[in-house]
Amino acid sequence: MLLEARNVSKAFGTFLAVAGADLCVEEGEMIGLIGPNGAGKSTFFNCLAGETMPTAGRIVFDGVDVTRALPEARARAGIGRTFQVPTAFEDMTVLGNVMVGAFLRHPHRSDARDHARRIVELTGLRADQAARSLGTPGRKRLEIARVLATQPRLLLLDESLAGLTPSELRDAIALVRRIHEMGITIVIVEHIMEVIMSLTKRVLVFNQGHVIASGTPEQVVREEAVIEAYLGRGHRRRQEEADGRA
Amino acid sequence: MRKFSSPRVGVLLLAAGLLLYPMLFTGPFYRDIGVTFLLAAISASAWNIVGGYAGQVSVGHSMFFGLGAYTPLLVYTLWGWPPIAGIPLGIVLSLALAVLIGLPTFRLTGHYFSMATIAVAELIRIFFGTWDLVGAAIGLQGPAVARSFWDLTFRGELPYYYIFLAVLGILLLVTATLERRRFGFYMRAIKASERAAKSLGVPVRGTKIKALALSAAFTSAAGSLYVIKTGFIDPDSGFGILISVQMVIVAALGGAGTLFGPLVGALILIPLQSATNSWFGGGGSGLTYILYGGIIVVIARFEPGGLFEMWQRVAPKLRKRFWSRAHAA
Repeated sequence: MLLEARNVSKAFGTFLAVAGADLCVEEGEMIGLIGPNGAGKSTFFNCLAGETMPTAGRIVFDGVDVTRALPEARARAGIGRTFQVPTAFEDMTVLGNVMVGAFLRHPHRSDARDHARRIVELTGLRADQAARSLGTPGRKRLEIARVLATQPRLLLLDESLAGLTPSELRDAIALVRRIHEMGITIVIVEHIMEVIMSLTKRVLVFNQGHVIASGTPEQVVREEAVIEAYLGRGHRRRQEEADGRA
Repeated sequence: MRKFSSPRVGVLLLAAGLLLYPMLFTGPFYRDIGVTFLLAAISASAWNIVGGYAGQVSVGHSMFFGLGAYTPLLVYTLWGWPPIAGIPLGIVLSLALAVLIGLPTFRLTGHYFSMATIAVAELIRIFFGTWDLVGAAIGLQGPAVARSFWDLTFRGELPYYYIFLAVLGILLLVTATLERRRFGFYMRAIKASERAAKSLGVPVRGTKIKALALSAAFTSAAGSLYVIKTGFIDPDSGFGILISVQMVIVAALGGAGTLFGPLVGALILIPLQSATNSWFGGGGSGLTYILYGGIIVVIARFEPGGLFEMWQRVAPKLRKRFWSRAHAA
Protein backbone atom coordinates (compact mmCIF):
# COMPACT_ATOMS: atom_id res chain seq x y z
CA MET A 1 0.00 0.00 0.00
CA LEU A 2 1.53 3.31 -1.08
CA LEU A 3 -1.04 5.69 0.38
CA GLU A 4 -3.59 4.99 3.02
CA ALA A 5 -5.99 7.70 4.17
CA ARG A 6 -8.27 6.54 6.97
CA ASN A 7 -11.36 8.32 8.21
CA VAL A 8 -10.06 11.73 7.12
CA SER A 9 -12.27 14.65 8.16
CA LYS A 10 -11.88 18.36 7.79
CA ALA A 11 -14.15 20.85 9.52
CA PHE A 12 -14.21 24.58 8.92
CA GLY A 13 -15.95 25.81 12.05
CA THR A 14 -19.15 23.78 12.19
CA PHE A 15 -19.10 22.98 8.49
CA LEU A 16 -17.80 19.51 7.73
CA ALA A 17 -16.12 19.75 4.31
CA VAL A 18 -14.81 16.19 4.39
CA ALA A 19 -16.51 13.62 6.62
CA GLY A 20 -14.57 10.45 7.27
CA ALA A 21 -13.19 9.80 3.82
CA ASP A 22 -11.11 6.67 3.16
CA LEU A 23 -8.72 6.14 0.30
CA CYS A 24 -6.23 3.35 -0.28
CA VAL A 25 -3.90 3.55 -3.24
CA GLU A 26 -1.69 0.70 -4.39
CA GLU A 27 1.62 1.45 -6.04
CA GLY A 28 1.12 1.92 -9.79
CA GLU A 29 -2.60 2.70 -9.63
CA MET A 30 -4.37 5.67 -11.19
CA ILE A 31 -7.38 6.80 -9.21
CA GLY A 32 -9.95 9.50 -9.93
CA LEU A 33 -11.69 11.72 -7.40
CA ILE A 34 -14.93 13.14 -8.78
CA GLY A 35 -17.99 14.88 -7.46
CA PRO A 36 -20.05 18.01 -7.99
CA ASN A 37 -18.76 21.46 -7.00
CA GLY A 38 -18.30 21.84 -3.26
CA ALA A 39 -18.38 18.09 -2.69
CA GLY A 40 -15.18 18.17 -0.64
CA LYS A 41 -12.87 16.52 -3.15
CA SER A 42 -10.53 19.50 -3.32
CA THR A 43 -10.39 19.76 0.47
CA PHE A 44 -9.66 16.05 0.70
CA PHE A 45 -7.01 16.48 -1.98
CA ASN A 46 -5.41 19.31 -0.01
CA CYS A 47 -5.34 17.11 3.08
CA LEU A 48 -3.37 14.55 1.08
CA ALA A 49 -0.99 17.24 -0.22
CA GLY A 50 -0.39 18.78 3.20
CA GLU A 51 -1.92 22.12 2.32
CA THR A 52 -4.68 21.66 4.91
CA MET A 53 -4.39 19.65 8.09
CA PRO A 54 -7.27 17.24 8.61
CA THR A 55 -9.22 17.71 11.84
CA ALA A 56 -9.44 13.93 12.25
CA GLY A 57 -8.10 10.80 10.65
CA ARG A 58 -4.75 9.46 9.57
CA ILE A 59 -2.73 9.60 6.36
CA VAL A 60 0.06 7.07 5.89
CA PHE A 61 2.41 7.27 2.94
CA ASP A 62 4.73 4.36 2.27
CA GLY A 63 4.43 3.19 5.87
CA VAL A 64 5.13 6.62 7.38
CA ASP A 65 2.46 8.70 9.09
CA VAL A 66 2.36 12.04 7.24
CA THR A 67 -0.92 13.34 8.68
CA ARG A 68 0.79 16.39 10.19
CA ALA A 69 3.68 16.72 7.70
CA LEU A 70 4.10 20.06 5.92
CA PRO A 71 3.84 20.30 2.12
CA GLU A 72 7.64 20.59 1.72
CA ALA A 73 8.17 17.46 3.84
CA ARG A 74 5.64 15.56 1.73
CA ALA A 75 7.41 16.63 -1.42
CA ARG A 76 10.63 15.22 0.01
CA ALA A 77 8.82 12.01 0.96
CA GLY A 78 7.70 11.61 -2.66
CA ILE A 79 4.22 13.15 -2.85
CA GLY A 80 3.94 15.67 -5.69
CA ARG A 81 0.97 17.86 -6.49
CA THR A 82 -0.23 20.37 -9.05
CA PHE A 83 -2.51 23.34 -8.45
CA GLN A 84 -5.95 23.95 -9.91
CA VAL A 85 -4.86 27.48 -10.83
CA PRO A 86 -1.33 27.14 -12.27
CA THR A 87 1.27 29.10 -10.32
CA ALA A 88 4.31 29.46 -12.57
CA PHE A 89 7.43 31.26 -11.36
CA GLU A 90 6.75 34.08 -13.79
CA ASP A 91 10.19 35.67 -13.94
CA MET A 92 11.98 32.44 -14.84
CA THR A 93 12.22 30.44 -18.02
CA VAL A 94 10.47 27.10 -18.41
CA LEU A 95 13.78 25.38 -17.68
CA GLY A 96 14.30 27.53 -14.57
CA ASN A 97 10.86 26.59 -13.29
CA VAL A 98 11.53 22.90 -13.77
CA MET A 99 14.99 23.23 -12.21
CA VAL A 100 13.41 24.44 -8.96
CA GLY A 101 11.73 21.04 -8.79
CA ALA A 102 14.82 19.19 -9.97
CA PHE A 103 16.98 20.68 -7.20
CA LEU A 104 15.07 18.59 -4.65
CA ARG A 105 16.93 15.41 -5.67
CA HIS A 106 19.86 17.02 -7.50
CA PRO A 107 21.49 19.70 -5.34
CA HIS A 108 24.15 20.50 -7.93
CA ARG A 109 23.25 22.94 -10.63
CA SER A 110 24.49 20.97 -13.63
CA ASP A 111 22.77 17.74 -12.49
CA ALA A 112 19.56 19.64 -11.83
CA ARG A 113 19.74 21.27 -15.25
CA ASP A 114 20.32 17.98 -17.06
CA HIS A 115 17.46 16.35 -15.21
CA ALA A 116 15.19 19.35 -15.87
CA ARG A 117 16.03 19.27 -19.58
CA ARG A 118 14.92 15.65 -19.83
CA ILE A 119 11.63 16.47 -18.12
CA VAL A 120 11.05 19.53 -20.33
CA GLU A 121 11.57 17.33 -23.39
CA LEU A 122 9.24 14.65 -22.07
CA THR A 123 6.46 17.16 -21.47
CA GLY A 124 6.89 18.81 -24.86
CA LEU A 125 7.75 22.30 -23.61
CA ARG A 126 10.42 24.71 -24.83
CA ALA A 127 13.23 25.11 -22.31
CA ASP A 128 14.17 28.72 -23.00
CA GLN A 129 10.65 30.10 -23.20
CA ALA A 130 9.75 32.71 -20.57
CA ALA A 131 7.16 31.30 -18.18
CA ARG A 132 5.14 34.51 -18.32
CA SER A 133 4.59 34.07 -22.06
CA LEU A 134 2.90 30.66 -21.67
CA GLY A 135 -0.81 30.22 -22.33
CA THR A 136 -3.14 28.07 -20.23
CA PRO A 137 -2.19 24.71 -21.78
CA GLY A 138 1.51 25.54 -21.45
CA ARG A 139 1.06 26.56 -17.83
CA LYS A 140 -0.75 23.35 -16.99
CA ARG A 141 2.02 21.40 -18.66
CA LEU A 142 4.67 23.40 -16.79
CA GLU A 143 2.95 22.57 -13.49
CA ILE A 144 3.20 18.91 -14.32
CA ALA A 145 6.80 19.19 -15.55
CA ARG A 146 7.90 21.04 -12.43
CA VAL A 147 6.47 18.50 -10.03
CA LEU A 148 7.70 15.57 -12.15
CA ALA A 149 11.20 16.96 -11.71
CA THR A 150 10.92 16.27 -7.96
CA GLN A 151 10.66 12.57 -8.90
CA PRO A 152 7.48 11.84 -6.97
CA ARG A 153 6.22 8.31 -6.33
CA LEU A 154 2.69 9.61 -5.96
CA LEU A 155 1.40 12.42 -8.13
CA LEU A 156 -1.71 14.36 -7.12
CA LEU A 157 -3.24 16.17 -10.10
CA ASP A 158 -5.77 18.87 -9.22
CA GLU A 159 -7.87 19.55 -12.31
CA SER A 160 -4.73 19.70 -14.39
CA LEU A 161 -6.74 19.13 -17.53
CA ALA A 162 -9.57 21.60 -16.98
CA GLY A 163 -9.99 24.49 -19.37
CA LEU A 164 -8.33 22.84 -22.36
CA THR A 165 -9.66 22.54 -25.90
CA PRO A 166 -10.48 19.01 -27.14
CA SER A 167 -7.19 18.63 -29.00
CA GLU A 168 -5.15 20.03 -26.09
CA LEU A 169 -7.08 17.64 -23.86
CA ARG A 170 -6.06 14.67 -26.01
CA ASP A 171 -2.39 15.68 -25.73
CA ALA A 172 -2.70 16.19 -22.00
CA ILE A 173 -4.34 12.79 -21.50
CA ALA A 174 -1.51 11.21 -23.48
CA LEU A 175 1.00 12.96 -21.23
CA VAL A 176 -0.70 11.72 -18.05
CA ARG A 177 -0.68 8.19 -19.52
CA ARG A 178 3.01 8.47 -20.27
CA ILE A 179 3.72 9.60 -16.71
CA HIS A 180 1.70 6.68 -15.37
CA GLU A 181 3.65 4.29 -17.58
CA MET A 182 6.84 5.61 -15.97
CA GLY A 183 5.61 3.87 -12.84
CA ILE A 184 4.26 6.91 -11.01
CA THR A 185 1.08 6.39 -9.02
CA ILE A 186 -1.53 9.03 -9.78
CA VAL A 187 -4.55 10.44 -7.95
CA ILE A 188 -6.46 12.80 -10.19
CA VAL A 189 -9.24 15.24 -9.31
CA GLU A 190 -11.27 16.07 -12.35
CA HIS A 191 -14.58 17.58 -13.39
CA ILE A 192 -14.54 16.21 -16.90
CA MET A 193 -16.05 12.71 -16.91
CA GLU A 194 -14.47 11.94 -20.26
CA VAL A 195 -11.01 12.33 -18.75
CA ILE A 196 -11.78 10.12 -15.77
CA MET A 197 -13.45 7.48 -17.95
CA SER A 198 -10.52 7.24 -20.32
CA LEU A 199 -7.73 7.37 -17.73
CA THR A 200 -8.70 5.62 -14.52
CA LYS A 201 -9.78 2.16 -13.52
CA ARG A 202 -11.11 3.19 -10.13
CA VAL A 203 -12.87 6.33 -8.96
CA LEU A 204 -14.18 7.76 -5.71
CA VAL A 205 -17.27 9.92 -5.88
CA PHE A 206 -17.63 12.68 -3.30
CA ASN A 207 -20.83 14.40 -2.31
CA GLN A 208 -21.34 16.76 0.61
CA GLY A 209 -18.14 15.63 2.24
CA HIS A 210 -18.86 11.92 2.00
CA VAL A 211 -17.56 9.27 -0.33
CA ILE A 212 -20.85 8.09 -1.81
CA ALA A 213 -19.54 5.56 -4.29
CA SER A 214 -16.41 3.87 -5.49
CA GLY A 215 -15.57 1.40 -8.20
CA THR A 216 -14.78 1.43 -11.90
CA PRO A 217 -15.93 4.55 -13.76
CA GLU A 218 -18.49 2.46 -15.64
CA GLN A 219 -19.94 1.17 -12.37
CA VAL A 220 -20.22 4.47 -10.55
CA VAL A 221 -21.92 6.40 -13.33
CA ARG A 222 -24.79 3.90 -13.12
CA GLU A 223 -25.20 4.21 -9.36
CA GLU A 224 -28.33 5.95 -8.15
CA ALA A 225 -26.52 8.07 -5.54
CA VAL A 226 -24.04 9.37 -8.09
CA ILE A 227 -26.72 10.32 -10.60
CA GLU A 228 -28.64 12.08 -7.85
CA ALA A 229 -25.57 13.93 -6.65
CA TYR A 230 -24.79 15.18 -10.10
CA LEU A 231 -28.22 15.72 -11.60
CA GLY A 232 -30.50 16.18 -8.60
CA ARG A 233 -33.19 14.02 -7.02
CA GLY A 234 -35.80 14.76 -9.66
CA HIS A 235 -33.72 13.62 -12.56
CA ARG A 236 -34.73 9.95 -12.59
CA ARG A 237 -38.42 10.83 -12.20
CA ARG A 238 -38.31 13.35 -15.03
CA GLN A 239 -36.44 10.85 -17.14
CA GLU A 240 -39.13 8.21 -16.54
CA GLU A 241 -41.92 10.67 -17.26
CA ALA A 242 -40.24 11.59 -20.51
CA ASP A 243 -39.89 7.90 -21.37
CA GLY A 244 -43.54 7.28 -20.46
CA ARG A 245 -44.72 9.99 -22.82
CA ALA A 246 -42.58 8.67 -25.64
CA MET B 1 24.27 41.63 -32.62
CA ARG B 2 24.75 39.09 -29.92
CA LYS B 3 28.28 40.35 -29.33
CA PHE B 4 27.11 43.90 -28.69
CA SER B 5 24.52 42.87 -26.14
CA SER B 6 26.90 40.48 -24.40
CA PRO B 7 26.55 41.27 -20.69
CA ARG B 8 30.23 40.52 -20.17
CA VAL B 9 31.23 43.60 -22.15
CA GLY B 10 28.89 45.73 -20.07
CA VAL B 11 30.34 44.39 -16.82
CA LEU B 12 33.89 45.06 -17.99
CA LEU B 13 33.00 48.61 -19.01
CA LEU B 14 31.30 49.20 -15.68
CA ALA B 15 34.26 47.82 -13.73
CA ALA B 16 36.70 49.95 -15.74
CA GLY B 17 34.55 53.03 -15.23
CA LEU B 18 34.40 52.51 -11.47
CA LEU B 19 38.14 51.85 -11.22
CA LEU B 20 39.03 54.94 -13.23
CA TYR B 21 36.42 57.32 -11.84
CA PRO B 22 38.59 58.84 -9.05
CA MET B 23 41.43 59.33 -11.55
CA LEU B 24 39.18 61.23 -13.91
CA PHE B 25 37.33 63.25 -11.27
CA THR B 26 39.91 64.37 -8.76
CA GLY B 27 37.99 67.12 -6.96
CA PRO B 28 36.93 66.32 -3.36
CA PHE B 29 33.26 66.94 -4.24
CA TYR B 30 33.30 64.26 -6.95
CA ARG B 31 35.30 61.83 -4.86
CA ASP B 32 32.87 62.28 -2.00
CA ILE B 33 30.00 61.49 -4.35
CA GLY B 34 31.94 58.43 -5.50
CA VAL B 35 32.35 57.10 -1.96
CA THR B 36 28.72 57.85 -1.08
CA PHE B 37 27.64 56.11 -4.25
CA LEU B 38 29.67 52.99 -3.41
CA LEU B 39 28.28 52.87 0.11
CA ALA B 40 24.71 53.15 -1.20
CA ALA B 41 25.43 50.47 -3.81
CA ILE B 42 26.85 48.10 -1.18
CA SER B 43 23.92 48.63 1.21
CA ALA B 44 21.30 48.27 -1.50
CA SER B 45 23.00 45.22 -3.01
CA ALA B 46 23.09 43.63 0.43
CA TRP B 47 19.40 44.45 0.96
CA ASN B 48 18.71 43.07 -2.51
CA ILE B 49 19.56 39.50 -1.45
CA VAL B 50 16.59 39.15 0.87
CA GLY B 51 14.46 42.05 -0.35
CA GLY B 52 15.01 41.61 -4.09
CA TYR B 53 15.78 37.97 -4.82
CA ALA B 54 13.73 36.42 -2.04
CA GLY B 55 11.07 39.15 -2.23
CA GLN B 56 10.94 39.71 1.54
CA VAL B 57 10.77 43.50 1.63
CA SER B 58 12.53 44.57 4.81
CA VAL B 59 12.14 48.25 5.66
CA GLY B 60 14.24 47.83 8.79
CA HIS B 61 17.65 46.99 7.41
CA SER B 62 19.08 49.96 9.29
CA MET B 63 19.12 47.61 12.31
CA PHE B 64 22.01 45.74 10.69
CA PHE B 65 23.63 48.85 9.26
CA GLY B 66 23.51 50.47 12.70
CA LEU B 67 24.95 47.43 14.49
CA GLY B 68 27.78 47.33 12.00
CA ALA B 69 28.34 51.05 12.47
CA TYR B 70 28.34 50.97 16.28
CA THR B 71 30.62 48.00 16.94
CA PRO B 72 33.85 49.47 15.42
CA LEU B 73 33.53 52.60 17.54
CA LEU B 74 32.43 50.60 20.56
CA VAL B 75 35.56 48.41 20.57
CA TYR B 76 37.59 51.59 20.12
CA THR B 77 35.85 53.44 22.95
CA LEU B 78 35.87 50.50 25.38
CA TRP B 79 39.25 48.92 24.71
CA GLY B 80 41.08 51.30 22.40
CA TRP B 81 41.16 48.73 19.59
CA PRO B 82 41.39 49.87 15.99
CA PRO B 83 37.82 50.26 14.70
CA ILE B 84 38.19 47.61 11.98
CA ALA B 85 38.45 45.03 14.79
CA GLY B 86 34.76 45.75 15.38
CA ILE B 87 33.71 44.66 11.88
CA PRO B 88 33.57 40.90 12.61
CA LEU B 89 31.77 41.59 15.87
CA GLY B 90 29.18 43.64 14.00
CA ILE B 91 28.73 40.86 11.48
CA VAL B 92 28.32 38.22 14.19
CA LEU B 93 25.79 40.35 16.07
CA SER B 94 23.89 41.07 12.84
CA LEU B 95 23.79 37.37 11.97
CA ALA B 96 22.41 36.60 15.42
CA LEU B 97 19.87 39.40 15.11
CA ALA B 98 18.85 38.19 11.63
CA VAL B 99 18.07 34.71 12.96
CA LEU B 100 16.34 36.14 16.02
CA ILE B 101 14.22 38.47 13.88
CA GLY B 102 13.70 35.95 11.09
CA LEU B 103 12.28 33.15 13.23
CA PRO B 104 9.16 35.05 14.34
CA THR B 105 8.74 37.56 11.49
CA PHE B 106 8.97 35.05 8.65
CA ARG B 107 5.72 33.62 9.93
CA LEU B 108 4.36 36.86 8.48
CA THR B 109 4.20 37.60 4.79
CA GLY B 110 4.00 40.69 2.62
CA HIS B 111 3.22 43.98 4.33
CA TYR B 112 3.16 42.40 7.76
CA PHE B 113 6.78 41.36 7.43
CA SER B 114 7.75 44.86 6.27
CA MET B 115 5.95 46.49 9.19
CA ALA B 116 7.54 44.14 11.70
CA THR B 117 11.02 45.04 10.42
CA ILE B 118 10.27 48.77 10.72
CA ALA B 119 9.10 48.25 14.29
CA VAL B 120 12.20 46.32 15.34
CA ALA B 121 14.59 48.85 13.77
CA GLU B 122 12.80 51.71 15.51
CA LEU B 123 12.89 49.89 18.85
CA ILE B 124 16.64 49.40 18.52
CA ARG B 125 17.12 53.04 17.53
CA ILE B 126 15.19 54.25 20.57
CA PHE B 127 17.00 51.78 22.82
CA PHE B 128 20.44 52.91 21.63
CA GLY B 129 19.37 56.52 22.18
CA THR B 130 19.00 55.85 25.90
CA TRP B 131 21.85 53.35 26.43
CA ASP B 132 24.86 55.02 28.07
CA LEU B 133 27.37 52.35 27.04
CA VAL B 134 26.89 53.35 23.40
CA GLY B 135 26.83 57.08 24.13
CA ALA B 136 23.02 57.35 24.29
CA ALA B 137 21.68 60.19 22.13
CA ILE B 138 25.15 61.67 21.55
CA GLY B 139 26.63 58.56 20.00
CA LEU B 140 30.23 57.45 19.65
CA GLN B 141 33.38 59.00 18.22
CA GLY B 142 36.33 57.31 16.53
CA PRO B 143 40.05 58.14 16.79
CA ALA B 144 40.58 61.78 15.83
CA VAL B 145 44.00 61.11 14.33
CA ALA B 146 45.36 57.81 13.13
CA ARG B 147 47.39 56.07 15.84
CA SER B 148 48.56 53.48 13.32
CA PHE B 149 47.75 52.41 9.81
CA TRP B 150 45.13 50.02 11.21
CA ASP B 151 42.91 52.87 12.33
CA LEU B 152 42.31 53.44 8.60
CA THR B 153 41.98 57.15 9.15
CA PHE B 154 43.00 58.60 5.83
CA ARG B 155 43.18 62.22 4.86
CA GLY B 156 41.71 61.95 1.39
CA GLU B 157 38.78 59.97 0.01
CA LEU B 158 40.84 57.86 -2.37
CA PRO B 159 41.75 54.93 -0.07
CA TYR B 160 38.13 54.68 1.12
CA TYR B 161 36.94 54.66 -2.45
CA TYR B 162 39.01 51.61 -3.35
CA ILE B 163 38.28 49.76 -0.11
CA PHE B 164 34.54 50.27 -0.68
CA LEU B 165 34.88 49.26 -4.31
CA ALA B 166 36.61 46.03 -3.30
CA VAL B 167 33.80 45.19 -0.85
CA LEU B 168 31.19 45.93 -3.52
CA GLY B 169 33.08 43.65 -5.89
CA ILE B 170 33.12 40.81 -3.36
CA LEU B 171 29.42 41.27 -2.59
CA LEU B 172 28.43 41.20 -6.26
CA LEU B 173 30.62 38.15 -6.85
CA VAL B 174 28.98 36.30 -3.95
CA THR B 175 25.52 37.31 -5.20
CA ALA B 176 26.32 36.28 -8.78
CA THR B 177 27.52 32.88 -7.58
CA LEU B 178 24.49 32.25 -5.39
CA GLU B 179 22.12 33.49 -8.09
CA ARG B 180 23.08 30.55 -10.27
CA ARG B 181 22.91 27.94 -7.55
CA ARG B 182 20.06 26.13 -5.86
CA PHE B 183 19.83 28.84 -3.20
CA GLY B 184 19.25 31.50 -5.89
CA PHE B 185 16.55 29.45 -7.61
CA TYR B 186 14.86 28.79 -4.28
CA MET B 187 14.86 32.50 -3.37
CA ARG B 188 13.25 33.45 -6.68
CA ALA B 189 10.73 30.63 -6.39
CA ILE B 190 9.73 31.86 -2.93
CA LYS B 191 9.34 35.39 -4.26
CA ALA B 192 7.09 34.20 -7.09
CA SER B 193 4.89 31.82 -5.10
CA GLU B 194 5.54 30.45 -1.65
CA ARG B 195 2.78 27.93 -2.03
CA ALA B 196 4.21 26.51 -5.24
CA ALA B 197 7.74 26.55 -3.81
CA LYS B 198 6.63 24.52 -0.79
CA SER B 199 4.89 21.99 -3.00
CA LEU B 200 8.22 21.37 -4.75
CA GLY B 201 10.00 20.73 -1.46
CA VAL B 202 11.65 24.13 -1.10
CA PRO B 203 12.45 24.71 2.60
CA VAL B 204 10.82 28.14 2.58
CA ARG B 205 11.56 29.34 6.10
CA GLY B 206 15.13 28.09 6.13
CA THR B 207 15.86 29.72 2.78
CA LYS B 208 14.39 33.03 3.94
CA ILE B 209 16.43 33.01 7.14
CA LYS B 210 19.63 32.18 5.25
CA ALA B 211 18.91 35.01 2.81
CA LEU B 212 18.24 37.45 5.65
CA ALA B 213 21.41 36.38 7.48
CA LEU B 214 23.60 36.83 4.42
CA SER B 215 21.96 40.15 3.64
CA ALA B 216 22.40 41.27 7.26
CA ALA B 217 26.10 40.36 7.28
CA PHE B 218 26.85 42.53 4.26
CA THR B 219 24.60 45.36 5.45
CA SER B 220 26.51 45.30 8.73
CA ALA B 221 29.79 45.51 6.79
CA ALA B 222 28.39 48.53 4.95
CA GLY B 223 27.63 50.20 8.29
CA SER B 224 31.18 49.48 9.48
CA LEU B 225 32.69 50.98 6.34
CA TYR B 226 30.53 54.05 6.76
CA VAL B 227 31.65 54.61 10.32
CA ILE B 228 35.32 53.94 9.64
CA LYS B 229 35.21 56.71 7.08
CA THR B 230 33.15 59.25 9.05
CA GLY B 231 34.50 58.37 12.53
CA PHE B 232 31.21 59.22 14.16
CA ILE B 233 27.87 57.52 14.80
CA ASP B 234 24.63 58.39 16.60
CA PRO B 235 21.27 56.58 16.75
CA ASP B 236 19.77 58.45 13.79
CA SER B 237 22.67 58.07 11.39
CA GLY B 238 22.95 54.37 12.32
CA PHE B 239 19.38 53.16 12.84
CA GLY B 240 17.31 55.94 11.25
CA ILE B 241 14.45 54.86 9.00
CA LEU B 242 15.88 56.90 6.13
CA ILE B 243 18.82 54.47 6.02
CA SER B 244 16.44 51.55 5.50
CA VAL B 245 14.28 53.43 3.03
CA GLN B 246 17.29 54.44 0.96
CA MET B 247 18.29 50.79 0.49
CA VAL B 248 14.79 49.89 -0.69
CA ILE B 249 14.57 52.83 -3.07
CA VAL B 250 18.03 52.43 -4.57
CA ALA B 251 17.38 48.74 -5.23
CA ALA B 252 13.85 49.24 -6.53
CA LEU B 253 14.88 52.12 -8.77
CA GLY B 254 17.52 50.07 -10.53
CA GLY B 255 15.68 46.76 -10.33
CA ALA B 256 15.21 44.66 -7.19
CA GLY B 257 16.17 41.03 -7.63
CA THR B 258 18.71 41.70 -10.38
CA LEU B 259 22.47 41.59 -9.85
CA PHE B 260 23.26 45.11 -11.04
CA GLY B 261 19.91 46.75 -10.31
CA PRO B 262 20.99 48.29 -6.98
CA LEU B 263 24.20 49.56 -8.52
CA VAL B 264 22.30 51.23 -11.34
CA GLY B 265 19.88 52.70 -8.82
CA ALA B 266 22.72 54.17 -6.77
CA LEU B 267 24.33 55.50 -9.92
CA ILE B 268 21.21 57.60 -10.54
CA LEU B 269 20.00 58.43 -7.06
CA ILE B 270 23.22 59.47 -5.32
CA PRO B 271 24.31 62.16 -7.80
CA LEU B 272 20.72 63.40 -7.81
CA GLN B 273 20.72 63.57 -4.04
CA SER B 274 24.09 65.33 -3.89
CA ALA B 275 22.87 67.83 -6.46
CA THR B 276 19.68 68.69 -4.56
CA ASN B 277 21.66 68.93 -1.33
CA SER B 278 24.19 71.33 -2.82
CA TRP B 279 21.56 73.42 -4.56
CA PHE B 280 19.41 73.87 -1.50
CA GLY B 281 22.15 73.72 1.13
CA GLY B 282 21.43 72.62 4.67
CA GLY B 283 17.81 73.72 4.39
CA GLY B 284 17.29 71.01 1.79
CA SER B 285 17.59 68.00 4.09
CA GLY B 286 13.80 67.54 4.08
CA LEU B 287 14.03 67.38 0.30
CA THR B 288 15.51 63.90 0.55
CA TYR B 289 12.18 62.63 1.86
CA ILE B 290 10.32 64.38 -0.93
CA LEU B 291 12.71 62.95 -3.50
CA TYR B 292 12.29 59.45 -2.07
CA GLY B 293 8.53 59.79 -1.96
CA GLY B 294 8.42 60.97 -5.56
CA ILE B 295 10.62 58.10 -6.72
CA ILE B 296 8.47 55.52 -4.90
CA VAL B 297 5.35 56.86 -6.61
CA VAL B 298 6.92 56.91 -10.07
CA ILE B 299 8.45 53.41 -9.80
CA ALA B 300 5.30 51.88 -8.37
CA ARG B 301 3.09 53.46 -11.03
CA PHE B 302 5.15 53.13 -14.19
CA GLU B 303 8.03 50.74 -13.78
CA PRO B 304 7.61 48.27 -10.91
CA GLY B 305 10.45 46.16 -12.30
CA GLY B 306 12.91 49.06 -12.05
CA LEU B 307 15.09 50.68 -14.68
CA PHE B 308 17.09 47.53 -15.35
CA GLU B 309 13.98 45.66 -16.47
CA MET B 310 12.86 48.64 -18.52
CA TRP B 311 16.25 48.66 -20.23
CA GLN B 312 15.98 44.96 -21.03
CA ARG B 313 12.62 45.64 -22.64
CA VAL B 314 13.64 48.76 -24.52
CA ALA B 315 17.21 47.91 -25.53
CA PRO B 316 16.39 45.27 -28.19
CA LYS B 317 13.96 47.69 -29.87
CA LEU B 318 16.50 50.51 -29.85
CA ARG B 319 19.15 48.20 -31.23
CA LYS B 320 16.85 47.05 -34.00
CA ARG B 321 16.06 50.62 -34.95
CA PHE B 322 19.73 51.54 -34.87
CA TRP B 323 20.66 48.61 -37.09
CA SER B 324 17.91 49.16 -39.63
CA ARG B 325 18.94 52.79 -39.89
CA ALA B 326 22.60 51.83 -40.27
CA HIS B 327 21.69 49.42 -43.04
CA ALA B 328 19.54 51.98 -44.81
CA ALA B 329 22.40 54.47 -44.81
